[in-house]
Amino acid sequence: MLKKLWSVGLLLLIFVLAACSGNDKANEPAETDGDKKSNVPQVLVFGRGGDSVSLDPAIVTDGESAKVTINIYETLVNFGEQDTTIHPGLAESWEVSEDGLTYTFKLREGVKFHDGTDFNAEAVVKNFERWKAGASEKFYYYHSMFKADGEDIISEVIADGDYTVIFKLSRPQAPFLKNLAMFPFGIASPTALDQYGESFGDNPVGTGPFKFVEWKRNDSITLEKFEDYWQEGLPKLDKVIFRSIPDNSARLNALVAGEIDLADGINPSDAQSVEANANLQLIERPSMNIGYLGLTNTRPPFDNKLVRQAVNHAIDKQAIVDAFYLGRAEVAVNPMPPSISGYNDAIKDYEYDPEKAKALLAEAGYDGTPIELWAMPVPRPYMPDGRKIAEAIQKNLQDVGIPSEIKTAEWATYLDMAKNGEFDAFLLGWTGDNGDADNFIYTLLDKDTIGSNNYAYYANEEVHNLLIQAQSEVDEEKRNELYKKAQEIIKEDAPWVPLAHSIPLLAAKKGVTNYKPHPTGSEVLSNVEIQ
Amino acid sequence: MAETATKDMNVQVVEDKVTSPWKEALRTFLRSKSAVAGTVIVLFFILVALFAPIIAPEGINEQKLGDPSTHLVPPSSEFWFGTDEFGRDIFSRVVWGAQISLTVGFGAVVLSAVLGSFLGIIAGYYGRWVDTIISRFFDILLAFPSILLAIAIVSILGSSLQNALIAIAIVNVPNFGRLIRSKVLSVKEEEYITAAKAIGMKDSRILLRHILPNSFAPVIVQGTLAIATAIIEAAALSFLGLGAEPPQPEWGKMLADARIYLMNAPWTMIFPGLAIMLTVLGFNLMGDGLRDALDPKMKN
Repeated sequence: MLKKLWSVGLLLLIFVLAACSGNDKANEPAETDGDKKSNVPQVLVFGRGGDSVSLDPAIVTDGESAKVTINIYETLVNFGEQDTTIHPGLAESWEVSEDGLTYTFKLREGVKFHDGTDFNAEAVVKNFERWKAGASEKFYYYHSMFKADGEDIISEVIADGDYTVIFKLSRPQAPFLKNLAMFPFGIASPTALDQYGESFGDNPVGTGPFKFVEWKRNDSITLEKFEDYWQEGLPKLDKVIFRSIPDNSARLNALVAGEIDLADGINPSDAQSVEANANLQLIERPSMNIGYLGLTNTRPPFDNKLVRQAVNHAIDKQAIVDAFYLGRAEVAVNPMPPSISGYNDAIKDYEYDPEKAKALLAEAGYDGTPIELWAMPVPRPYMPDGRKIAEAIQKNLQDVGIPSEIKTAEWATYLDMAKNGEFDAFLLGWTGDNGDADNFIYTLLDKDTIGSNNYAYYANEEVHNLLIQAQSEVDEEKRNELYKKAQEIIKEDAPWVPLAHSIPLLAAKKGVTNYKPHPTGSEVLSNVEIQ
Repeated sequence: MAETATKDMNVQVVEDKVTSPWKEALRTFLRSKSAVAGTVIVLFFILVALFAPIIAPEGINEQKLGDPSTHLVPPSSEFWFGTDEFGRDIFSRVVWGAQISLTVGFGAVVLSAVLGSFLGIIAGYYGRWVDTIISRFFDILLAFPSILLAIAIVSILGSSLQNALIAIAIVNVPNFGRLIRSKVLSVKEEEYITAAKAIGMKDSRILLRHILPNSFAPVIVQGTLAIATAIIEAAALSFLGLGAEPPQPEWGKMLADARIYLMNAPWTMIFPGLAIMLTVLGFNLMGDGLRDALDPKMKN
């Protein structure tokens, strides 16, 4: 009897404690309400798939870092709200010389870094010098954008007075402004760079609408409103918390339960249930990506062009898009999405034709050696479920007589192995950084980028020449012609099976307004409001 | 007529006189309703596995991708268990999955019973430092949580169904080993063993002909129960992506694949889940019945 009483008592105690903690939580927003005029606390909890690597944008390449840093730092020029057109940023205006070799930027006055340092020409120069002097492994983006064959494309950055910066280029670069608008080139506070040195990535200081507060590794990053932000009335949020919830379904559940306000990486199969939920809204990110099946061009049997073409004929892309993207994607023909200038829409895709594939395989003398088909272990924006798509492809290949075994590895290992060309065939993809053709075709398929993003080890001298020529061609039309020609050759060589351009999905609570997802995958949250 | 009746009676009498322990056990076993139910379930799944090609002639990987009439269709007269996101018939896959799960279950248990018995007999019979080494080895294996150890072994061997089977077998070795060892310790003190030694019988013959048969009953019980755990462990490994490879219709893997459809197509998850539950339940009930029948301590 006594024992029973004890357990009842204990149970009661637990209830009381639970009720207390519940009350605390409920009270918290109520208190802040008192201070503010609006009734809703302006705090946004952004649920995402992974943690950031570092908050120094210059040294990272991953989208999860960019999502945060883009809110802390600003670039000289900005992308449009939901496109990749160029708009003034920290630079109010700019002039380009006739020969395309000199850019003169007029900087905005009265801008301050979060630590109180003034933003001026000197700060810009200091940042560029830091990137230029650093090792290529450290400042990956700077080196891939502004260096070619060890030669600096930006030969000099000069401060002319306090608010004018002059860039001198060694050769014209058509997408120069687009490159500058990319997240890695956010300007950091020179004082903070000196003060923190190597640990700057944990103590980020920029000029952006939000300043850094706290980082709990693998859990959350908290930013708060920067009161002295130069744009009047912005940002509208007081606080942004980026929370990592790796599993897509768990993240959606957290949103439904109200733990987070906004979730990215919604499975296409969950779109319907989000739309059916009166408290939620489904948000589509404008598409600027490619998901593909890479065929490592240096490994048998894919060192034979005929086999690669056969695989292109063997895979029923439309069926894959229908089954796994559920209409939230279009079938890919070329290595870049049609929205990008220079896209060749005259190219006809390899049609789904198993018989033709078999004929090509016979012609190539393929002997039925099994291949390894690698599938990514995590959902990516360009491919919601790699392993299932692999299973569908496995069946397609089996139908034409290519036996395959599906394999996978942990994500970081997967990328490393792909970089080293250890896969026969593999699923991967790419989300564009700046909306330029160069950022797709050169980055993914030029012989220069073998060992970084050219995972298929595709090397074609003719394509290389076209791409290099296109980089310094300033005339838009001529430039597009070069890219169209390159796409034709790539289609014929078939280093990949381009699968889909997906529309990544997000979901938010109904009250979240003015959230405009950007095609590059990261966006400034200064206009977001909670109602 | 009368003659046959007497004959039958005679047989009855003779049988009663020499009640073998096995027959006695069978009778106890059949008296338990749950044990019989378990056996029926197990037999059912064995039959399903054996006749899979007849029951589900469509096979396991008949994909009809992107066809709305077969994409995640709920259970109907055409597709008894509905279809999955590849347009495959889930009923066919669950039926073929029985083959995989039972093979892994039996395979792993036979392998670990053989290994475990071998080590256990040697440890029990020879004693001293042989016993110490083998017993400490068992202790080390038992110190790890079983599924964790299995995961570690599969990670080393590489993930495939065969390696999952080996991993589960290794994990279960100490259970059988200890069981046999303790039994051998008591059997080897029996008089008939002393007698066998006295007439100069070789160790190998004593071990195989006298000790092993007399120590084997608990292994049968343990084996039946271990099949149930082995099936669950195999499903768990496949669920984690360390066992079956696509397109194999392993039940645990089917569960993992169905996770994202939990909300909008629950049948993709329910049927493989039910299949796991039922087989495991069957083996457990049967194992319990066997223990009641074979374990002398349980008799009153």
